[in-house]
Amino acid sequence: MRYDRPELGERLAADYVLGLMPIRARRRFERAMAGNATLAAWVAAWSDRLTPLDTMTADETPPPQVWRAIERRVGPALSEPMPARGRGGALAFWRGIATAAIAACAALVLYIAIYPEPLPKIVAVLADTTGLPGWVAFAGRSGKVGVSAIGTVGKDAGHSFQLWGIGGGAPKPLGLLPADPDRPLWVRAAMLPAAGAALAVSLEPPGGSPTGQPTGPVIFQGKVLKAPP
Amino acid sequence: MRNPANVKTAARLPAIGNWRRGVRSHMKAHVFAHTLADRVSNLTSTLPDLMRRSASGDKSAFAGLYQATSAKLFGVALRICGRREVAEEVLQEAFVAIWGRAKDYDPVRGSVMTWLVTIVRHCAIDQLRHQQSRPEGHSAPEEVLSSFVASGRTDISAELRSLQRCLDELDPQPRQAVLLAYLYGLTRDEIAARLKVPVGTVKSSLWRSLERLQRCLGT
Repeated sequence: MRYDRPELGERLAADYVLGLMPIRARRRFERAMAGNATLAAWVAAWSDRLTPLDTMTADETPPPQVWRAIERRVGPALSEPMPARGRGGALAFWRGIATAAIAACAALVLYIAIYPEPLPKIVAVLADTTGLPGWVAFAGRSGKVGVSAIGTVGKDAGHSFQLWGIGGGAPKPLGLLPADPDRPLWVRAAMLPAAGAALAVSLEPPGGSPTGQPTGPVIFQGKVLKAPP
Repeated sequence: MRNPANVKTAARLPAIGNWRRGVRSHMKAHVFAHTLADRVSNLTSTLPDLMRRSASGDKSAFAGLYQATSAKLFGVALRICGRREVAEEVLQEAFVAIWGRAKDYDPVRGSVMTWLVTIVRHCAIDQLRHQQSRPEGHSAPEEVLSSFVASGRTDISAELRSLQRCLDELDPQPRQAVLLAYLYGLTRDEIAARLKVPVGTVKSSLWRSLERLQRCLGT
């Protein structure tokens, strides 16, 4: 996209500041902004115009476990901003739900030079019978493995894609796979079969297999390449 | 971080935990002296200073930055997410991102607070877009704005007053669209649904209104 057309660039800068951009468009825009001082200046100008609205929002003190969690992830500081004890169960619960946003936030860039992000460790590539890959499993954070469509699988309203672990014994259901590449299925790494065993995707009725075992054809499969984290 | 001598394969995690706790209690007196000094210095530091020191890897400055800004930023995250648990996650993710990107902050391009707010807003918006359900109970943004400005508070900035004056000059629908997007992170489709107008109308009127807003603010 030609960000250097003044009107378009300025519109996009306003969209960016208002928060109207879809995530992918925003990433593209941020990459463009890193090398384009004019775009960055437009963004700064729109931020300055609208950020007074944030002053209306009442301050809220976050609970101490938030800083504890941040500190765990960036390494301990010598001083702590506040005393903290324990850790909320709700926080652990929501960690799973917010996982999808983690990648988005970690990749977040503003006024910045882009740093290439390290490639995720691939745990398995699931291909169809012709060898065309449809899904990839990769190591995420917190002992999770993400399984993501890579854009070759079409949406199918009449069916669900269900993921199975094929180790010894009966196939183990691991969850329903969204066809949207932006929304990986997150599976606890401990649920996955060992390296050398397989992951498979079967076509099931909407909502998944009614029996707890695959009822439809296996359309993608792949070996677990390495022990998940 | 890890001291291999203390890590037993059979009990890797507990061993690390014990080792870290051991080091911490050993360093306690030392840490306490540092803590006091750091707290005093963080209290007297400006945000750009804390930001600059965070960028060079100074974790106590980063802790100071959190201390100085987390209440404002948590308020912003809560405004968009609507649920405390989600806002806590967002704040955590945002600060991890801030730590990683601190060296990218460029004071020439805006204030520290604006930079931080942008990061938190985008984290919150990403989170919102991944959620199945939308938070409920968002107050009507215009009422929030007018009651805030009319509240007689003395700490309302001149910038907010002129922004409100210029927003007042817009037509009601695009004004609400601007506020719904900025304050609550609604998409164009959601704005259209909330205002009960076609999404094309939102698209076309929004930019015209932003241009008017820009002319009115004269910035």
